Amino acid sequence: MSEFDIRSNGSPRIGVYVCHCGINISAKVDVAAAVEFAKTLPNVVIARDYKFMCSDPGQDTIQKDIREMSLDRVVVASCSPLMHEATFRRATMEAGQNQFFFQMANIREHVSWVTADGDKATEKAKALIGAAVRRVALHEPLEQRKVAVKPDVLVVGGGISGIHAALTVANSGKNVYLVEREPTIGGHMAKFDKTFPTLDCSACILTPKMTSVRSHPNITLMTYSEVQSVGGYVGNFEVDIRRKARYVDEKLCTGCGECVKACSVEVLSEFDEGLSKRKAIYRPFPQAVPNVFAISRKGTPPCQSVCAIHQNAQGYVTLIGLGKYKEALEVILRDNPLPAVCGRICTHPCSVACTRSKVDDPINIPGLKRFIADWVFKNKVDYQLPGPERERLERIAIVGAGPAGLMCAYELRKRGYQTEIFEALPVAGGMLAVGIPDFRLPKGVLISEIRKLEEIGVRINLNSRVGQNGLSLRHLRESFDAVFIATGAHQENKLKVPGEDLSSVWGGIDFLRRVSLGERIRLGKRVMVVGGGNSAIDAARTALRMGATEVSVVYRRTRAEMPADPDEIKEAEREGIHFDFLTTPKAFLGEKWVTAVEFLKMKLGAPDESWRPRPVPIPGSEYVTTCDDVIVTIGQESDLRIIGKDMSVETSNRGTIIADPLTLATNVEGVFAGGDCVSGPEIVVTALSAGRKAAISIHRYLNSLDIHMGRELEGAFESTIVTDTEGYLVKKRVPMPAIGLEQRKTFQEVHIGYNEEQAREEASRCLACAECCDCELCAAVCEPKAINYRMEDQIEKIKVGSIILATGFKAFNAERIPRYGYGKYSNVYTSLEVERMLNAAGPSGGQISLNGSGKPRTVGIIHCVGSRDETTNRYCSRVCCMYSLKLAHLIKERTEAEVYNFYIDMRTPGKGYEEFWDKLLQEGVHMIRGRVAEVTDWAMTKEEEGKLIIRAEDTLIGVVRRIPVDMVVLSVGLEPRPDAEEVGRLFNISCSKEGWFLERHPKLAPVSTFTDGVFLAGACQGPKDIPDCVAQAGAAAAEALALADKGFVELEPNTAFITEDRCSGCKTCIAMCPFTAIAFNAKEGTSEINEALCKGCGTCVAACPSGAAQQHMFTDKQICEEIEGILSYV
Amino acid sequence: MFDTHDPETRKTFEPRIVAFFCNWCTYTAADLAGTSRMTYEPNVRVVRLMCSGRLDPQFVLHAFRQGCDGVLIGGCHSGDCHYQEGNHKAFRRYTLLKRLLTQMGIEEERLRLEWISASEGDKVRSVINEMCEQLRRLGPLRLERRPELRHTSVNQPDRVTVEVGGGSQ
Repeated sequence: MSEFDIRSNGSPRIGVYVCHCGINISAKVDVAAAVEFAKTLPNVVIARDYKFMCSDPGQDTIQKDIREMSLDRVVVASCSPLMHEATFRRATMEAGQNQFFFQMANIREHVSWVTADGDKATEKAKALIGAAVRRVALHEPLEQRKVAVKPDVLVVGGGISGIHAALTVANSGKNVYLVEREPTIGGHMAKFDKTFPTLDCSACILTPKMTSVRSHPNITLMTYSEVQSVGGYVGNFEVDIRRKARYVDEKLCTGCGECVKACSVEVLSEFDEGLSKRKAIYRPFPQAVPNVFAISRKGTPPCQSVCAIHQNAQGYVTLIGLGKYKEALEVILRDNPLPAVCGRICTHPCSVACTRSKVDDPINIPGLKRFIADWVFKNKVDYQLPGPERERLERIAIVGAGPAGLMCAYELRKRGYQTEIFEALPVAGGMLAVGIPDFRLPKGVLISEIRKLEEIGVRINLNSRVGQNGLSLRHLRESFDAVFIATGAHQENKLKVPGEDLSSVWGGIDFLRRVSLGERIRLGKRVMVVGGGNSAIDAARTALRMGATEVSVVYRRTRAEMPADPDEIKEAEREGIHFDFLTTPKAFLGEKWVTAVEFLKMKLGAPDESWRPRPVPIPGSEYVTTCDDVIVTIGQESDLRIIGKDMSVETSNRGTIIADPLTLATNVEGVFAGGDCVSGPEIVVTALSAGRKAAISIHRYLNSLDIHMGRELEGAFESTIVTDTEGYLVKKRVPMPAIGLEQRKTFQEVHIGYNEEQAREEASRCLACAECCDCELCAAVCEPKAINYRMEDQIEKIKVGSIILATGFKAFNAERIPRYGYGKYSNVYTSLEVERMLNAAGPSGGQISLNGSGKPRTVGIIHCVGSRDETTNRYCSRVCCMYSLKLAHLIKERTEAEVYNFYIDMRTPGKGYEEFWDKLLQEGVHMIRGRVAEVTDWAMTKEEEGKLIIRAEDTLIGVVRRIPVDMVVLSVGLEPRPDAEEVGRLFNISCSKEGWFLERHPKLAPVSTFTDGVFLAGACQGPKDIPDCVAQAGAAAAEALALADKGFVELEPNTAFITEDRCSGCKTCIAMCPFTAIAFNAKEGTSEINEALCKGCGTCVAACPSGAAQQHMFTDKQICEEIEGILSYV
Repeated sequence: MFDTHDPETRKTFEPRIVAFFCNWCTYTAADLAGTSRMTYEPNVRVVRLMCSGRLDPQFVLHAFRQGCDGVLIGGCHSGDCHYQEGNHKAFRRYTLLKRLLTQMGIEEERLRLEWISASEGDKVRSVINEMCEQLRRLGPLRLERRPELRHTSVNQPDRVTVEVGGGSQ
């Protein structure tokens, strides 16, 4: 029915009622004048005033008028509609009028309470009354929408409030989901020792309730879970809950605790406020509900993520620190079959990324890996590389026994394939054998590690160059099921200057290979090495050991751009090698062999494609130096002749084989390539990674699986873990022992390696960035086999009718008040820390001791830390006075110390609280009324030496006092949780200015919010003590139950609707709706609004260009009338 | 009603401001200002909407046409809208409307948009006081009134007279 139909029955008959609200309105607004004014408005039949319109007599008056005077619209000018609109609507409805033929004018909150001048207030009231009268004339007779309510309830937060709310609802027979973020319920109350004023043991009164939760048939307990999203509306919420991976199966874990004994990682315990350590696999406290363990794993630590083969560095470093060498070896061998090699020569991206470098030096990870390899060797530990579980028939050919080829063979062998390597040189190892000199990597070490590979069935054919003697690539492809090319880069780059062909001008790779293969090369006294990479340094140091006395390394850029390992450069300098920077040879001079070199000086210019500054020659800077030998090591290239003419494997114009970076597949099916022959010269671990990648590709290829999916994290990636490095004492790296300079004339290995003591000391510096280090020792001892490292977060979807938020509070961070010395002086504690100390199950077994030096003889307790403070929080945290008295009592009892409480006011309002305060006074606790100015250790008298001095004005006697104490306790206030706003948005509720969840009305609706169906319980709504929390939780439960028992909820009919005739089908409205309530009817060519989904915001209405979309209760006409009403009369 | 052309009236000029407040945040904040007994200028009259997204720019124009001197729009802070994004839509419309108004010669200061959350009662007070002060200095809007304006609804068309024949001769 439109407004025109109604008016056709006679114009609207409006009754206007102006309330005095006692004197709240009438003190400012001339109510009588307002009534007189109302009588002059159009369609107003009767206007009255009354002292309390919302009371029974007031409502009766309205009802009587409706009946007797045939009113069909009512306007009440009184308080806010948010206060009493529902009351008056119901009153009119009971009198037989449609409840939506009602409008309120807010002349209290918006007029009388905020206007100074009475005349102006009256004018404003008149304007608002005029607006209401004009508007109500156009109201439609609407009906509330009835929606069924689901009976289930969601309780978010498992502290005492959440627990009590859940139990109350569950006891009524309804189902409750209790979601808690931590691995156990209990909240802050579980941390306390005793509770005030009864001094009940906190755990004793809490744990029975926790047990009830666990065993209650109607409660579904979801711990270690968080609400991820909330959709729907009151009675019909759809909630997604993230069940975080615990890595322990809740159903299988028996809580025996064997895993904790085996766990190798210790981190600070959050439950004990950082006063003690817990293992990575843990239970927050022994009475945890559920009584199962959880593993805190933060992800992949930086050392593991940047390693191209993802070695579990944190794992084996932690195990070395504990002396568990066999377990450490097992962890290493999971990913790397060549620990002795890598531990010596890897360029350690892991150490570069190590978080410890933010404190002092990064951990010497390769050094520790090498320690394990040495331990194996020294103690003749027999180990087997993990081999195949079952054999497979497929055969794979691998060209090249360098690190890429060896790793590929290892990974394929582990999966059961038959592997055969074809190596051109008479030795296996590639660059490891012929590129790295013995004094860095002794031959014996390499040979013994390669032998381990042969022991699991890797076949290596030496002296078998592919491309020669009938051994072609094509032949390999045809005789084997797949081929992996890993021939590396062993060809010299040439300088291309005159004289390069003179004898005694050596190619660096050639030189190193010959020396490695045992050739006796005689060098002159003066040797120049051209280049800046590791090979140049290796060549220079090798030259020293082959008879040269004066060795110089000549590089065309500066030290900063040298690609060689800085440690190697340092060793070279120690050995007496000289470095010439910004120099390059222009020509080699001599007849048959080189006698001198003409050098040219360079300067740095603009960056080239490697982002390093391009060296630019300085004209006219040539000079000549004599020398006996020159070694040129300026880079390597691949020898692509192995491909042969009968295989069309694609190569690049840089001289490398082209292979897909994700899968290492070449353009020829079944042929893969990786390592230096694809990437150009790289480090060893990159080659190992390529070998593994190729093995995975070949495995998938042979089993017809997709070779592309899920390969992104195979190479190095950046870790997402951020570790807090504050507070660690500087403890520099244990230096790697090395042989003395006099012993460096032969090829004896320079680095000796750590001994056990050094290794364990170095390992102890690890910060355990990922917490759990994946050593898997816990799984080994878990009998019920409850541990599963592959667990992932799960999303569970539930449907509930109402939600109770009981997310609690956060204690104020005492570091924000530096003058109290928290974090600066070691004997300043927060109240929560002292609670843990007093708790018999806490870090000190219930004893208060000062860092191991005995009991304190004097203790000062400072009230109002972070409360009643203009600079931090202005409000009073309500519980601190009482708990400070409680702590005073307990401390005095346990230590017999003199206790001083420094307070501003003593707030003891609850039942038994004032009596508790009296008791404390009787016990002789000193009470000093005065806000503490500072805590200092600056002694002014002998008695103050070695103590902390609390300075405060004792206002009752008017004297500033200095009280020396052994221990200071800061009574920290309560604050909203740091993510309160975010959580609020999730549930569509708002927060107050201080950040607590906003209640619907501070006096009359403290547990409801402005979002129907979402209720609040406990400290998340504001600071309060345990009895109030429990009471509020009961109240919230009652509200939720009221909703559930009623079975339905009535929604405001302020939905939007579209008048079909006026809709042109422009579809502007559809995109506007955040609830996708509007759909386009293609048949009719118009848009339609689904009333069930519409929430009544009106955004689509404002966007509609033709006025086809309107909103019930807020039509354009109604609002325009309201505007006119405001402006037309006063 | 006062005559804005009269210089005497101008001296005692008190601006009339129509405010459109969203139910969840700003209207509640205004209520809070009331319960906290904050005192502010009485020149503002509030029209309650469910969401600032409901605000049709026509309402603003209608308000100016009906004789108000300023319009204040109140909505939730970005991200806090009870209906997700209604306040963002309001902001878009407001920005365009402001340009339109200045082109029509209506000063920018007469239309104001504020994000006020349910707990910011003091912001309601300070915004209203500020706006009143500004408009006092600006003076009345002095839009020409349409002749024969009766208190009727907006959408009733005016009578149109059509001349038949004749034309421009």
